[in-house]
Amino acid sequence: MSSWFDYTVNGLIIGNIYALLAVGLALIFGVSRLINFAHGSVYVVGAYAGFLAVTQFGTPLPLTIVIVVAVGALLGLAIERFGLRPLQGYAHIAPLLATIGISFVLDQLVQLTFSPDPRALPSELLQKRFQIGSGTIGALDILIAAIGIGSAGLLYYFLRFTRLGWAVRATAQDRDAAQQMGVDVDAVNRTVFAIASALGAVSGLLVGMYYNYIDPSMSFQATLKGVVAQVVGGVGNVPGAIAGSMLLGLVESYGIALFGTSYRNLFAFILLIVVLVLRPNGLFASRRQTPPEPMTGTFIAPSKPVQISPRTLLAIALAAALLPLVLPNPYVLQTLTNAWLYGLLGLSLTLIAGTVGLISLGHAALLAIGGYASALLSLDLGMPVGLSILLAGVIAAALGTLLVFPSFRLRGHYLSIATLAIGEIVSLVILNWDSLTRGPIGVSGIPPLSLFGFELDTDRSVYWFALGVLVVLAALQFRLLRSHLGRTLRAMRDDDIAARSYGIGLDRYKALAFAVGSFAAGVSGGITAHLYSYINHETFNSQLSILALTIVILGGMGNVTGAILGSVLLVGLPEVFRVAAEYRVLIYGIVLLLLVRFRPQGLLGTV
Amino acid sequence: MLAHRRLVFAAIALLPLSIMPAGAQTGPAKGEPIYLGVSGPLTGPNAQYGAQWKQGFDLALDEINGSGGIKGRPLAYIFEDTQSDPRQSVAVAQKFVADKRIVAELGDFSSPASMAASPIYQRAKLVQFGFTNSHPDFTKGGDYMWSNSVSQADEQPLSAAFAVKRLGLKRIAVLHLNTDWGRTSKDIFVKAAKEYGAEVVATEGYLPDEKDFRSTIVRVRDAKPDGVMLISYYSDAALIARQLQQAGLKLPIVAASSVYSPKLIELGGDAVEGIFTASRYFPEDPRPEVRDFVAKFKAKYNKEPDAFNAYAYDTMILMAQVMRESGIDRQAIHDGLSKVKDVPSVIFGKATFDPKTRRVAGAMSVDLVVKDGKFTIYQGGPVVR
Amino acid sequence: MSAAPSLLEVRSLTRRFGGLTAVNSVDLDLAEGEFLSVIGPNGAGKTTLFNLITGHDDPDGGTVKFSGRDITRLPPEWLATLGIARTFQHGRVFANLSVMDNVLVGAHVRFKAVRPAWPSPLSLLGPFAEVALALIRPSSVVTEEKRMREEALRILARFGDRLLPRLDHPTYSLSYANRRRVEIGRALALGPKLLLLDEPTAGMNQTETAEMQTLIGDLKKSGLTILLIEHKLDMVMQLSDRVIVMDNGSVIANGKPAEVRNNPAVIEAYLGHRRSDKSEASVPEAAE
Repeated sequence: MSSWFDYTVNGLIIGNIYALLAVGLALIFGVSRLINFAHGSVYVVGAYAGFLAVTQFGTPLPLTIVIVVAVGALLGLAIERFGLRPLQGYAHIAPLLATIGISFVLDQLVQLTFSPDPRALPSELLQKRFQIGSGTIGALDILIAAIGIGSAGLLYYFLRFTRLGWAVRATAQDRDAAQQMGVDVDAVNRTVFAIASALGAVSGLLVGMYYNYIDPSMSFQATLKGVVAQVVGGVGNVPGAIAGSMLLGLVESYGIALFGTSYRNLFAFILLIVVLVLRPNGLFASRRQTPPEPMTGTFIAPSKPVQISPRTLLAIALAAALLPLVLPNPYVLQTLTNAWLYGLLGLSLTLIAGTVGLISLGHAALLAIGGYASALLSLDLGMPVGLSILLAGVIAAALGTLLVFPSFRLRGHYLSIATLAIGEIVSLVILNWDSLTRGPIGVSGIPPLSLFGFELDTDRSVYWFALGVLVVLAALQFRLLRSHLGRTLRAMRDDDIAARSYGIGLDRYKALAFAVGSFAAGVSGGITAHLYSYINHETFNSQLSILALTIVILGGMGNVTGAILGSVLLVGLPEVFRVAAEYRVLIYGIVLLLLVRFRPQGLLGTV
Repeated sequence: MLAHRRLVFAAIALLPLSIMPAGAQTGPAKGEPIYLGVSGPLTGPNAQYGAQWKQGFDLALDEINGSGGIKGRPLAYIFEDTQSDPRQSVAVAQKFVADKRIVAELGDFSSPASMAASPIYQRAKLVQFGFTNSHPDFTKGGDYMWSNSVSQADEQPLSAAFAVKRLGLKRIAVLHLNTDWGRTSKDIFVKAAKEYGAEVVATEGYLPDEKDFRSTIVRVRDAKPDGVMLISYYSDAALIARQLQQAGLKLPIVAASSVYSPKLIELGGDAVEGIFTASRYFPEDPRPEVRDFVAKFKAKYNKEPDAFNAYAYDTMILMAQVMRESGIDRQAIHDGLSKVKDVPSVIFGKATFDPKTRRVAGAMSVDLVVKDGKFTIYQGGPVVR
Repeated sequence: MSAAPSLLEVRSLTRRFGGLTAVNSVDLDLAEGEFLSVIGPNGAGKTTLFNLITGHDDPDGGTVKFSGRDITRLPPEWLATLGIARTFQHGRVFANLSVMDNVLVGAHVRFKAVRPAWPSPLSLLGPFAEVALALIRPSSVVTEEKRMREEALRILARFGDRLLPRLDHPTYSLSYANRRRVEIGRALALGPKLLLLDEPTAGMNQTETAEMQTLIGDLKKSGLTILLIEHKLDMVMQLSDRVIVMDNGSVIANGKPAEVRNNPAVIEAYLGHRRSDKSEASVPEAAE
């Protein structure tokens, strides 16, 4: 059938575009063991640099590319020098968070400079087209492929036949050994960031020209697809990243062919999960490896947690409970109610990511499951709201644990990426499972919060309810951490191999912790649904997952009080920065970067 | 491109940046301003729409405050950025509710953000005027939820009539944004198109950040339609049109009125040539309120207005009218909305609310086609035999 | 070979990494109460052998039996319940846990009150019961915890005042030698029937090494069965009942310390490697 030929060509064309992104991400991961969440922002900057060159100075394409390469490389150097180099020797989580902060800052700067409006990025090349199958491919398609393959070739040459390339490979294989053998690891990092960012910037330009469309918010999707493609191919593996991109493009295209457009990303993420579970090192990884023995916990910053006496905590909780009587300002109460609800999310993630070390990037999915569960139980089955929220917690715990269970065998970043994919899958299933979730229309008319028949219809009562649930669950979590389980879970995080040697079955305890943690998130989602009265698949979007992780890292991994403090700050700060209007997200990003730089173990320290 | 931003800095230094007493520069309106609260996106993925709102609001305020404001007092708005995120829109709702200066609220942009805040506005008896909220359940949130957003139940049958009756399409492929708006619109469109005797041979929902439609187009092609209906915003419509052209699929394209924007032509280039759409207003429209709006908009911003500019402009004019007639406190505005009659409107010609649905019926509609890179009134007949 | 019944019985154990055979058809017997050392140049496959025995790596061939039971390819968490404890070549303490908690984790499998041993279908509820018991803490759980803490203190007292004053310190803050001590303390807390020590004195100075040697000697005297990897030959010769020498994945000598010391093949292996340092560097550490 000729259509299948067309689907194949289309899959390869879009894969071609993913490859441009994935190669840069793979290079950086290979050398720095870092998922660069700022890569999509470099892509956006590249697109706008090209836009400026073309529209203001009328540069021809080759010159535009040169300019964009230069801008990208300089930006890469700056990111490496000012964003990441100061974090050397910090726990791995710090640079990861820094790239998220850098991405906020760059996206906002672009948006402030060029306005959020989409722009056209014209290209003279687009006019030339060649018939292939029943469609056509353009000169730009060929140029993108040429640049993709050309840069891969150049990279291959550089890595194989130059001294710096040798150093890059050595660093990628064993950073410490390379350093001991006199490799200038800083120079390697600089080189890699410059090359990867130049590639990222050029891909922004080319993709912008390809669609004749650029806008400042396209960075997250770019990062997401690039990450998926390179993980499918084998993290840090450049040829693998290209192959993975093509495969991703094909799977998406065939997915559309078989099931329709709205299933596209579902297929992409299911592919990712399948690959991760079956081939944890990617499809094109060479051999199985035992991970090196860590001297100390390397992913989580070791630190002495700030000691806060139970009496102080009690006093703070009491003060929080009395606040509505002293300061009956509904805006402040609402903001704090939000903070308590995100505090529940923080409790959940600080247990799962902090105490157990499963860095989840899809935590919003648990909110969504909880929110939909409670909304549908109360709306469709007429269940009383208090009970439905409790059940929402249970359902989130069960479903959440079931969904991540196959990924428990993954380590570190791989698990994070799997959870990211699971988060997206949950959201897409909610979008597509019309008969249950009402699809994109969403669930409206969700009954308001009530408890034992009493409707919580004042700002205060909702505030107290959220605070009460938070305090109870936080107290339980404290108690759990002080038990043998707290010890067991933290041991597993610090060194899973040693933990297994002492009889700790990883799956059992990961599942147990995930279930306990998911319960709090599910309850939070449930309460939120009743508070909002309307939810759809976008209510709990993937940005929330990033926020949750930020809350946890800011407070200190595994730190219960820290999670609540982090939540108060991250919900509160954007409100405080309101006076800055359009600049507030920028300020937020900068504050985040400063925190990572000067307090990587979080405000209250790792527990 | 930075024009609207400079305006922010021109605002009186003593006031927070987000407060823009547009009557402050000139105009006879004096005294304590009357404030409307605006909850909407100024940052984040939907920031462009917030920026467009501002342009529409500011233009309307120039006009209102230049001619005496509301009973001599200037009208102003306080724009709080929510990123169209429900978590922030509920906080902003509480802020507005508690701020006694605020007499009514406009927004938010997306349904999740708007409808999450509805219970708060409803409880506080502050009108939430969701002027872009076409979600069928928005005004069901309570008697303080009002909207002059064009109901899809109104618009889509018109689109269907245009596509089927006027252009003669018989086998239609529908591409729609898979959002609450796109989905509602699609359902109504499909129903209407079938009633008019056409067949809907394919429906494809896509996510808002989708850029690649090649494979979708193969699916569409295989369904052998004689025309394509786009329930899209201008940015995705431009992308789809370009890729249809690249795929060599020469089919008549009809698009929902939401694509009516100069940006469609900027982004789509020659690929959007020949696209049929409809608009609530049109620059060459003889209606005085339209002529006036377009001329003033061009003078102030040096570009053509688009649909969101018009919604925002219309809304501000409408609120001013309500306040002039019924008073400037919260309850008076709520009561006034059901009483106000025949307010001059770019979108509706004359806007009057149905007090039961709290929506406005009877949007104007002009059938357009893109010709020589410009929207022009379509005067032809069927394009498919 | 020893006449006593074998506690550990390894037969034809083989592990290949790509083209390299890290462990090549190794046989090994360890009687109850015996002290056996494995020596050999770097990259000889000693640690790989340990990993295969303790379930951290799966062999390509061969079997491992413990107390007569086939334990080949069983996961490490099962082996722990059978009473096999090990330390690691480069040290693997739980960095953010206190000294006390590290040792208590060593006793994990001996905590019974928090993990009710329910029969099969009910055992699915085990994790829930464990969470509930951890939160409610009935007296049985409290007593058990107390008992284990007391025992941990007794174990830590074996190291004199090296660790006792630092009970609440997180182990990342300890000296290297102290971290190795914590590891051994943790292993002892398991109440092991078989203890595998992978270079317990690596990185220690002379005094510390001597101290460690005394401790290991005491453990031997108490009747514990021990398998040791060590480079410090003096220590090996003094402690061991028997010594196995490995080179390039194969056992090249096996016998009493004095016999092994004078075995020409052993001398050749050590000297030969010393002469061709380069080829040794090419043996990947990943195989360890």
